[in-house]
Amino acid sequence: MNKIIEVANLTKKYKGKTAVDALSFSVFEGEILGLLGPNGSGKSTTINCILSLLSIDEGKITIFGQEMKPSAYEIKKEIGVVFQDVAVFDELTVIDNIRYFCGLYIKDKKVREVYIEEAIQLVGLEEFKKYYPKQLSGGLLRRLNIACGISHKPKLIFFDEPTVAVDPQSRNNILDGMKTLNKNGATIIYTTHYMEEVEFLCHRVIILDKGKIIESGTIDELKSLSNIEEKISVEVNNLKKSIISDIAKWEQVESVDYENGILIVTYQKGKNNLAGLIHYFKENRIEYNKIFSERPTLNDVFLELTGKGLRD
Amino acid sequence: MTVFKTFLKVLNKNKFIVILYSVILLFFGVSNMQTQEENTNFISSKPDVLLVVSDELEGITKHFVDYMEKHTNRKEIEESVRDDALFYRDVNYIIFINDHFREDFLSGEQPNIEVKSTGDYQASLAELLVNNYLKVASVYQKMGFTEEEIMQNIDKTLEKQVVMEVTSPLDTDQLEKVAFYYNFLSYSMLAGCVYIICLMLVSFQNEKIRKRTIISSMSDRKYNRILLLSNGLFALLLWLCYVVLSFILLGEGMFSRQGFLMLINSFLFTICCLTLAFLLGTLIRSKNTINGIVNVVALGSSFLCGAFVPMEWLPNFVLKIAHLLPSYWYIKTNELLKTMEIINIESLKPIFYPMGILCFFSVFFVILTNYISSKRRNIG
Repeated sequence: MNKIIEVANLTKKYKGKTAVDALSFSVFEGEILGLLGPNGSGKSTTINCILSLLSIDEGKITIFGQEMKPSAYEIKKEIGVVFQDVAVFDELTVIDNIRYFCGLYIKDKKVREVYIEEAIQLVGLEEFKKYYPKQLSGGLLRRLNIACGISHKPKLIFFDEPTVAVDPQSRNNILDGMKTLNKNGATIIYTTHYMEEVEFLCHRVIILDKGKIIESGTIDELKSLSNIEEKISVEVNNLKKSIISDIAKWEQVESVDYENGILIVTYQKGKNNLAGLIHYFKENRIEYNKIFSERPTLNDVFLELTGKGLRD
Repeated sequence: MTVFKTFLKVLNKNKFIVILYSVILLFFGVSNMQTQEENTNFISSKPDVLLVVSDELEGITKHFVDYMEKHTNRKEIEESVRDDALFYRDVNYIIFINDHFREDFLSGEQPNIEVKSTGDYQASLAELLVNNYLKVASVYQKMGFTEEEIMQNIDKTLEKQVVMEVTSPLDTDQLEKVAFYYNFLSYSMLAGCVYIICLMLVSFQNEKIRKRTIISSMSDRKYNRILLLSNGLFALLLWLCYVVLSFILLGEGMFSRQGFLMLINSFLFTICCLTLAFLLGTLIRSKNTINGIVNVVALGSSFLCGAFVPMEWLPNFVLKIAHLLPSYWYIKTNELLKTMEIINIESLKPIFYPMGILCFFSVFFVILTNYISSKRRNIG
C-alpha cells in the first residue's frame, strides 16, 4: 500500500516542555487510522504539526510523497480537516457556508456546485440548505461542520472528535458518512474518545501517551496484547467481602471489582470460567440476577497500556 | 472571488446598520438645511433706550426725541427700577435730557445730556446715534441756521443711507451648510466603517475559521489581500455614497472650491477611519463588543471634536483632549475652509497642517495594526 503520510522523528516543544517526542509513524492509502490518547497525550499537537498549523522543532513530515510546509498548497488541495469546534459563518446559510469553504479549493463553479450537493447529501442536510447555523441543532451543526471540511473531495481527511456531544441519530449519520468517504477512496485519520467508534471504524490504531507512541496495530493486534482474556460481570446484591477475596485467590483471576451491586471478574486465560463462577455461586447459595461474559474491549487495552481512561 | 462574494453576503446581512447611520446623516443634513434657510449675514438691531425728558417737548428737543424713537426701541420704565432694568439688560441706554436742553443748544452752548449705559454693543450703538445727532446739529447751529432749518438739515444729513455691497464671492450660508454636513459625516463614516470592518474582521479572522483557511489551498497572503481590498472598497463606496448625497442635498455649495476641498478632506478622513477600523478589528475578538466600541469611538469622538456641537461652544479642556483624535483635525479643516475667502497655495497653508495630521494618524494606525498582528502571529 502507498504511504500517504510519513512522520519521521517528529518533535515539538512548548516553552522547553516536550509535547511530541520523536514520533514516527505512517498512514497508508485507503485506511482509517485511529489516533487515541488521554488529554494532553499529544494527539492535537501531532495533527497540527502534520497540517503545518504549528512549526516543528525536529523531524520531517511527508504527505503524498512531498515535504509538508505552510506553503505546500498543492498538498493542501488534497487535505480536508474537520475540527472538533464548529467553524462556520453565522451570517451565511448552510449552503453558502459549504460554498465558501469549497470555494477555497475548487475554482470551477460547475464542479463546485456538484461537490457541494454531494457533501450535503452525504451528511443529510438536504432539508436545511437555507437554514442559518443558529437555526440548527448541535448535531446538525456538526454535520454542517463536516460538510464544510470534506466538500472539496479531499484524498486525506482529518477528523478531530467529530461526534462529541452529538445525538445518536447524527452520530450514526456521521459514522456512516465517514465509512462512505473511506469507501470512495479517502484516507482518514480519526481522533476520538469513544472506543466503540474506533472499534467500528478504524483499521489501525495508534495509542499516544506523553507525546510518544506506546502501541500501534489493528484492533485485534492490540486486544491480543491484553493480559485479560475474559471478563465476567454479575449483578449481585450484598456480597460479602470474604467471597470477593475468595474469588480473587483463584489461579486464573486477574482482578475482582465489586461496586454498586456489580461484580466484575477478569481472567487472564482459561476455559469454562463462566461455568466455574456459576457453580461457585450455587455452592455458596448466592443469589444473582444477570451474569454475562465478554472479551476484553479496546478500552480495557487502553487502560492497561496507559493506566488511565481517555478522559483523564 | 469566493472570499469577496462571502464578504458581500456578510455585508448584506448587516446592511441595516450602515443604512441606519446613513439615514441619521441624511436626517440631520436635511433638518440643518431647513433650520438655516432663514439665516442672513447681517441683521439690523435697535438698542433698547429709556428717554427721560425734563425739557419741554418742542423744537429741537422734540426733534431729538423723535429721532431717537425712530432708531431705537424706546422703553418706559419707572424711576425706582431704572438701575435694575439696566442691570438686567431690560434697557441698554438711559438718556437724561435736562430742562435747559433746547435753550442751551440754541444759544450755542453744549446741551446738557446725561447717560447711563450697560456698556455692551447695543449701548454703543445708542451712544453713536446720540453723538451723531448732536455733532450734526451743532454744525448747523454754528452755521447760523434757524431752529427749523437746523431740524430740516439734520433730517437730510442723517437719513442718507449708505448702500453697502458685499463684493466677496463667499456664500457663507451655503458653506455653513456644507461644513455642517461634512462635520456630521465624521460620525456616520466612523461608525459605519468601524462597525462593518470590525464585524468583517471578527468573522473572517475568527480563530476557527482562520485555521480552516490556513489549511486550505488558498495562500494566506492572497486571503489577507482580498480582505483588505474588500474592506477598502466598502469604505470607498460608503464615502462615494455620502459625497453623492452631499451633492444632492447641498447643490451649488458643493461646486465651490471650499466644497471640493472639504470633499478631499473627507476622503483623507475615510482612509483614517479605515485604518482605525482595521486596528480595532485586530484587537476585538467578539462580535458582542462591536456595538460598544462603535459608541465609544464614533459617538465619543464626534461629541468631543465638534461634529454635533460647534467647536466654539466646547470648553477648552475638551478641545485639548480632542487634539488626540482624528475627528478633531478633520472638523478643524472644514471649519477653516468654510471661512476661507481666497483659495490659493498661500491661503491653504493653514489646512495643510490638520490634513497632514490626519495622514499621520492613518500611518500610525497601520503601523500599530501590523505590530499587533505580528505579535499575535508569533504567539500562535
